Amino acid sequence: MSKETVTRINSNYQQNGVSDGAAEPWPENATLYQQLKGEQILLSDNAASLAVQAFLQMCNLPIKVVCRANAEYMSPSGKVPFIHVGNQVVSELGPIVQFVKAKGHSLSDGLDEVQKAEMKAYMELVNNMLLTAELYLQWCDEATVGEITHARYGSPYPWPLNHILAYQKQWEVKRKMKAIGWGNKTLDQVLEDVDQCCQALSQRLGTQPYFFNKQPTELDALVFGHLYTILTTQLTNDELSEKVKNYSNLLAFCRRIEQHYFEDRGKVGV
Amino acid sequence: MAAPLELSCWGGGWGLPSVHSESLVVMAYAKFSGAPLKVNVIDNTWRGSRGDVPILTTEDNIVSQPAKILNFLRKQKYNADYELSAKQGADTLAYIALIEEKLLPAVLHTFWVESDNYLTVTKPWFASRIPFPLSLILPGRMSKGALNRILLTRGEPPLYHLREVEAQIYRDAKECLNLLSNRLGKSQFFFGDTPSTLDAYVFGFLAPLYKVRFPKVQLQEHLKQLSNLCRFCDDILNSYFRLSLGDG
Repeated sequence: MSKETVTRINSNYQQNGVSDGAAEPWPENATLYQQLKGEQILLSDNAASLAVQAFLQMCNLPIKVVCRANAEYMSPSGKVPFIHVGNQVVSELGPIVQFVKAKGHSLSDGLDEVQKAEMKAYMELVNNMLLTAELYLQWCDEATVGEITHARYGSPYPWPLNHILAYQKQWEVKRKMKAIGWGNKTLDQVLEDVDQCCQALSQRLGTQPYFFNKQPTELDALVFGHLYTILTTQLTNDELSEKVKNYSNLLAFCRRIEQHYFEDRGKVGV
Repeated sequence: MAAPLELSCWGGGWGLPSVHSESLVVMAYAKFSGAPLKVNVIDNTWRGSRGDVPILTTEDNIVSQPAKILNFLRKQKYNADYELSAKQGADTLAYIALIEEKLLPAVLHTFWVESDNYLTVTKPWFASRIPFPLSLILPGRMSKGALNRILLTRGEPPLYHLREVEAQIYRDAKECLNLLSNRLGKSQFFFGDTPSTLDAYVFGFLAPLYKVRFPKVQLQEHLKQLSNLCRFCDDILNSYFRLSLGDG
């Protein structure tokens, strides 16, 4: 499938979620592609992949996770994860949610308009603050870059390609940070933002099991993906995970989803 | 609290105290929280060239960027969110994130990238308020900054073309306006009867879109159909800014 066709399909799902594949049921051999788990994948990509996996588990749709070193380049939009279902390839959580909806599965149908607005707003909050903070920590904090990111990102490739790719990616991320006004932030300010975001999520969650009470939605999947990855990824220090650990209801939330959707279904070692 | 607070920001037009979204957010918040701000409109400046505007100056501090300025005002006890519950405070952060991700790219595009709008409205307006020869350079730089931001956050750098991204960002912006309209409903402000930080942000981003006369207006047309958002902007303009507009 040419890149143009694939890009068009992806943007179709961002539009209205309707396409040729809508009529076919979910196949047994649906696969999700991400980078190599042990040596290559970074915090932010791992979080995104876990969010999609959690979402599909919540919809009861089977998915097989396949690790490829060039997953980023295979993806139609350049971002991981992406899923290969039938003859369609869809990447990123937003379009995947639309795609799944077109096949008749949705977690947020029961919400009213105001709740849907809230759900979308909170998903943007996670993308705006948590994901950006993860990217900052990975690519703009010199200690992390030197000790972890550079080595991991380039690990499947031979010298000098590993260095070139890592530097190129770092340059791209730094450009983006500068454009959105994060270029001059210090690490402490970024951690403050993470704390603010976690506080908002914690306050919104309150004592409920999920963000919209009894049933999980794509927001729960997204929050779980990021928080769980932050809690379980070894970085140069524990400052990031400590911010999340301050909020006990968020810890309980992660544990609940892990138990219910991953351990109980025999998918250990998420 | 007795120290004078001075705000440097871009000036107004078309019935607005300022046509610059971020300046408008700060001005609105100051009105809502009762902070006594002395507004210095930029019409002949070198400072604006660093793109820092709006800037709050007190005796010992210089604060830039709306979020930091609002934080500073809150620490000085000018707090418009005093009556909000914890959940409402969390909702505020979430909706601000929504506006920055979904609405801001299209607003930037309408003002700075869409060539008809930029050449006939935005550029002359800003150029007339900047001293020569900076007036030849600065608007262009601001335009490039806006385009950059759009492509870097919504495109797939560095290969995406603007055309492909344009349709998507306008679609997102219209959806965001619909979501805001749904959330506001029939209430006067987003959280009850008194305006808060979220109202300041929504007003700051919507009012210029609503009032400035552009040749290419697809987003403006969409906004005008959402009557409760238009009423929201007009209410704030009439209640909080009418007197100061009378002074010029």
